Amino acid sequence: MENDKLNKLWEVQANEIADINSKDLIRKAKKQRTGQYINIGIMSLTVVILIIYAFNYAFSQWNTFNLGLLLMISSLSFRIILEFYSVYRKEMHVVTMDHKSYHAYLKNYYKNRLIINYIITPICIAVYILGFYLLLPYFKSYFSSAFYTYILISGIISILAVITIIIFSTFKEQGFLRQLNKR
Amino acid sequence: MKTEQDFTNIYNTYASKVHRLCLGYSSGDNELANEWLQETFIKVWKHRNSFKGNSSIDTWIYRIAVNVCLGDLRKAKKTIPINEEVMSNSNTSDYTNINEKNIKKMYRCIDQLNEQNRVLIFLELENIPQATIANTVGLAHGTLRTRLSRIRKSLLKCIKNGK
Repeated sequence: MENDKLNKLWEVQANEIADINSKDLIRKAKKQRTGQYINIGIMSLTVVILIIYAFNYAFSQWNTFNLGLLLMISSLSFRIILEFYSVYRKEMHVVTMDHKSYHAYLKNYYKNRLIINYIITPICIAVYILGFYLLLPYFKSYFSSAFYTYILISGIISILAVITIIIFSTFKEQGFLRQLNKR
Repeated sequence: MKTEQDFTNIYNTYASKVHRLCLGYSSGDNELANEWLQETFIKVWKHRNSFKGNSSIDTWIYRIAVNVCLGDLRKAKKTIPINEEVMSNSNTSDYTNINEKNIKKMYRCIDQLNEQNRVLIFLELENIPQATIANTVGLAHGTLRTRLSRIRKSLLKCIKNGK
């Protein structure tokens, strides 16, 4: 009898499902899938260009310009590939794991994200900044003073913006881990 | 599940239960529940080929749903929607207020449960068979039965006493 009370209370809640049908969902799913394929395509193309460039030019005419460029591109590519891999694995586990295992996996996932955020990402940013720094003398000699200043300022602003976004998402993910540990 | 027609049938069969499950998870935030409902079925469609039939289709869908809800760690806006149809049997504002208060109490009490117990009670209140619940959460059937009975008792006590 008492148990019925709980069920009745549960049923009193409205069940207002948004006006969306299965066709809309299939369309959204296909759009998401296309987006993923485009991202993977762009990433693969970047890696291929990087490899071709490294073997054809950088390794044969080694100078600090090539080193700087390689450091910038490779640190960025590495971090993006790591991000995609991490998101892809999480997506696969959502559909394959039972709730108990997924809860444990999520805790582990956000712990690993802390390692990425506190160790790997700062290293990538440092390598990227070093690469950018190595390119500056070339920019200074090839471009006009105004354009050089523009590259310098926009480069610094972009790096600061990326660092701000990363700090923000690190705090957010730390909050998620705290929430998961509480549950 | 291979064709769009199969998916439509599955969506029509399970959408309502998944929605209410998500509603429970979001402590009554209907907007968030609808987002999770859509996300669940988008994943069902996208990963339909990975469903090998090792578990039943309903277990697979509920697993995705509870995992989607768990994975989205945004804070829910707490608004409790009331089912007007159910309410129409006793259409007085006093009755509405009492129920609204009790539902809020119920959510407050459910919020005090740990993660797994919350999921268990949501699935149980949706009248999902216990074997399906056990497979969805990854618990043995015997353990589940005992646990559910304990959760129900503690919830009723909490709702009654207000803590």
